Amino acid sequence: MIQPQTHLNVADNSGARELMCIRVIGASNRRYAHIGDVIVAVIKEAVPNTPLERSEVIRAVIVRTSKELKRDNGMIIRYDDNAAVVIDQEGNPKGTRIFGAIARELRQLNFTKIVSLAPEVL
Amino acid sequence: MASQLFPQALHMIPINQVKSFNPVKNLGFSAFLSRGPSPLTASKVSVSGTHLKFHFGSDLGCFARRDFIVRAESNPEAEANENGVEEPETKAEAEVEAGEGGEDEVEEEKPKEPYKPRVKLGDIMGILNKRAIEASDKERPTPDLRAGDIVEIKLEVPENKRRLSVYKGIVISKQNAGIHTTIRIRRIIAGIGVEIVFPVYSPNIKEIKVVKHRKVRRARLYYLRDKLPRLSTFK
Repeated sequence: MIQPQTHLNVADNSGARELMCIRVIGASNRRYAHIGDVIVAVIKEAVPNTPLERSEVIRAVIVRTSKELKRDNGMIIRYDDNAAVVIDQEGNPKGTRIFGAIARELRQLNFTKIVSLAPEVL
Repeated sequence: MASQLFPQALHMIPINQVKSFNPVKNLGFSAFLSRGPSPLTASKVSVSGTHLKFHFGSDLGCFARRDFIVRAESNPEAEANENGVEEPETKAEAEVEAGEGGEDEVEEEKPKEPYKPRVKLGDIMGILNKRAIEASDKERPTPDLRAGDIVEIKLEVPENKRRLSVYKGIVISKQNAGIHTTIRIRRIIAGIGVEIVFPVYSPNIKEIKVVKHRKVRRARLYYLRDKLPRLSTFK
C-alpha cells in the first residue's frame, strides 16, 4: 500500500538509493500502489557518480511491499520492506542487476526483464 | 419417523411383550436412558435392555392395536419434555397407524432400522472439515507442525511444470481453521526478510518436511521480525 510521501528502497543498481512516491499511476484519485504498480517517484538519496541524481523525478515499479500480496491458491507473501525498481517509459529497468526476491506476478504484468534478472522468484 | 415413535411407544407395552424386542431398538433405549426416563418407564427399560434375542413375532403386530395408541397419546404429557419434536410426531404417527388399522409388515420393517445418532446443526462444519482433512491426508500425509519447526515445503507451480518450487523457513505461526489451516514461514531471501503463508492442506503442496526444530517459548514468533536477520536465515 504505497501512497504519495512513501519512502521506498531501490532494488536495483540504477544508482538511486531511496525514492519517495509522489503519484500512483493508474486511475485518477487512485489511492494505493501494490506490487506490480507503476509510480512516479523522486530520488531522495543516490549513489554518487551515477547517471541518476538526487531530486530527479523518475518512474518505478513496486516489487516489494510490507502489505501482503494474496494469491488465488491461498498463498500470502509479505516482505519486510517496501522497494521499487527504476524503469523507463517502456517498462525496462534502468539498472542491470536486481536485488531481493521478486514475486511471480510481475511476469504477467510484462516486466519479464525484471523477473529474468531476479536472483529468486517467489 | 417410526424409529422415533417406537422408543417412546415401546415403553408402554405390557411387560410380557417386552421380550419380543428388537436388539437394535435397544439403542433407542440407551439414548432414552441418557435423557432420563420418567419413573413410569424406568423399570421396563431396564428389563428390555438385557434381552438380545431378535424376534419378528406376531407379538409385534400388537403395535397396531389401538390400545397402545391411546397410551401413546397420554404418555407424552407425563414425560417431562423428553423431546418436543418427538411428541407431535408420535401423535401424527399414532393417527396414521390407527388409520392403517393393523398392517403388520409396516411395523415389522421399522424396528429393523438402526437408530441413527442425530447430527446437530452446530456439528456440521466440524464434520465437513474433518472429512475434507481426511481426504487430503489420503493423498498426501501432513506432519504435525508447530511454531519453531524449520520446514521445507515443495510446491507445484503452474508455470514451472518440470520442477517443484522449494520454500524453506521457520514456522512462526499456525492458524487452525479446519481445512484452511495455515502456517506462516519466515526466511531471509537474498538479504530481505520474507514471510509466506501456506494453506497446509492445499493440493498444490506436494511435500512438507520438518527439517529441524528450534526451541521456542511462544506460539507466534513475531519477535523474529525485529531481531537480527541471522536468526531467520536457513541454508
